[in-house]
Amino acid sequence: MTAEGGLRGGAVLAVEVDGLVKQFGNRRALDGASFSLEQGAFLSIFGPNGAGKTTLLRILATLSRPTRGTVRLLGVDALEEPERLRSQIGLISHKSMLYGDLTAYENLAFFSSLYDGAPNRARIDELLRIVELDHRRNDCVRTFSRGMQQRLSIARALVNDPALVLLDEPYSGLDPHAVELFDELIGRVRTERPDRTFVMVSHDLEKGFRMCSHALILARGQVVVMAEKNRVRRDAFRDLYLATVGMGVA
Amino acid sequence: MAKLSAWRQYKALLAKDVRQELRTREMLVSMGVYAVLVLTVYGAALAQVGDRLQVVSFAAGLLWALIVFTSLLGLNRSFGRETETGCLDGILLAPVDRAVVFLAKATTNLLFLLIVEVVVVPLFFLFFLSGAELAPTTPLIALPLLVGTVGVAGMGTLLSTMTINTRGKDVLLAILFIPVVFPLLYACVSATGVAFMGVEGTFGTFWTSCGIAFGYDIVMIAAAWGLYEFVVSA
Repeated sequence: MTAEGGLRGGAVLAVEVDGLVKQFGNRRALDGASFSLEQGAFLSIFGPNGAGKTTLLRILATLSRPTRGTVRLLGVDALEEPERLRSQIGLISHKSMLYGDLTAYENLAFFSSLYDGAPNRARIDELLRIVELDHRRNDCVRTFSRGMQQRLSIARALVNDPALVLLDEPYSGLDPHAVELFDELIGRVRTERPDRTFVMVSHDLEKGFRMCSHALILARGQVVVMAEKNRVRRDAFRDLYLATVGMGVA
Repeated sequence: MAKLSAWRQYKALLAKDVRQELRTREMLVSMGVYAVLVLTVYGAALAQVGDRLQVVSFAAGLLWALIVFTSLLGLNRSFGRETETGCLDGILLAPVDRAVVFLAKATTNLLFLLIVEVVVVPLFFLFFLSGAELAPTTPLIALPLLVGTVGVAGMGTLLSTMTINTRGKDVLLAILFIPVVFPLLYACVSATGVAFMGVEGTFGTFWTSCGIAFGYDIVMIAAAWGLYEFVVSA
């Protein structure tokens, strides 16, 4: 499937979110969030606990439906035609989404079969090389360190060569060396396909800001600010984030 | 093309569960051990009454209680691997029809339940019915066992999906499962009882009960198939 994004001033839009509301009983996790993102961009979403970041990401991943609002991903209405989009989305979470009792290869082969009907061996071999786990391909994932599992999780998320990659707190539980490797891998994956769009949810302002091309602050389910990174200074953004949280907006 | 793709996805989902189980034997061993423990409890309870009771007259109830309790244990564990590291989200992210996910998981549960029954039912006969005079119609219990297990696996899969993310899911599954499968259980116990007793003239009840159980399977599994998309995205 080739999905074409919408257009904004000549740029192709990968994500268009408008008036998103998500209600859980009496609690409103998202309260009218709206933003758009160009194809090939890397958006980091920041916000305190309970700001609605993961809820937003799950809606973008078509795993959850909003109570109100519209979502277009890669030019496709995500609420009307989620099945058309699923082959174009990859998700890397703080949970590995891997089966501990299957080997690295078996995990990738399984997820590949769900997309292609049969394991795409060439793609799996390539991904295992990219994430530097080729030598452990026949070992059960349960024997892997957290960092290795997260690297394999990147391979799992890319097994379908997605145009949109979502990252949910990917640094959770990683040691500094694993974080470095993870950043390097994401950098390599971005180079592999420059039109690929990334949306990352993170608590870590420093790391998230370093990786992104666009930054967004979410508080109480609303977009407080969204800006291109090269148009804001890191210190100013940090102050704005702290002020937003500190003022009780979040 | 879509049907071919769904068939391959179904096979991939099934093969993944079977491969994991063959590697760990987690579900089969735990269900098997639990079933033997239930048999031990039955043995202790029935030992107190000696020969005064004819076990054949209530063997159907004992057998189905054993199957239901063992199934509950297995059903609770069947989604453990999917939720432990968020794998269910990984499956739902893929372009897989939710009905295919349901069918694959229900088939896995059915397969594992049948394997456990193949071991446990002969043990039940050995422990409690070896000295009893069995009716020649006893082998017919295979039919209600099969039809009942299909329904238990189908409804159990739907209900265990509904409870995976809830607090106290083990208890909640039992609370939901037993009332929902009660009509099926009633029919299966009745059919199994008739087969055990082998009283002439009661075979109309056997076939009627099997028919009710079969109808339950069709209706409930069709409903589960249709509802699964809603259940997994709720």
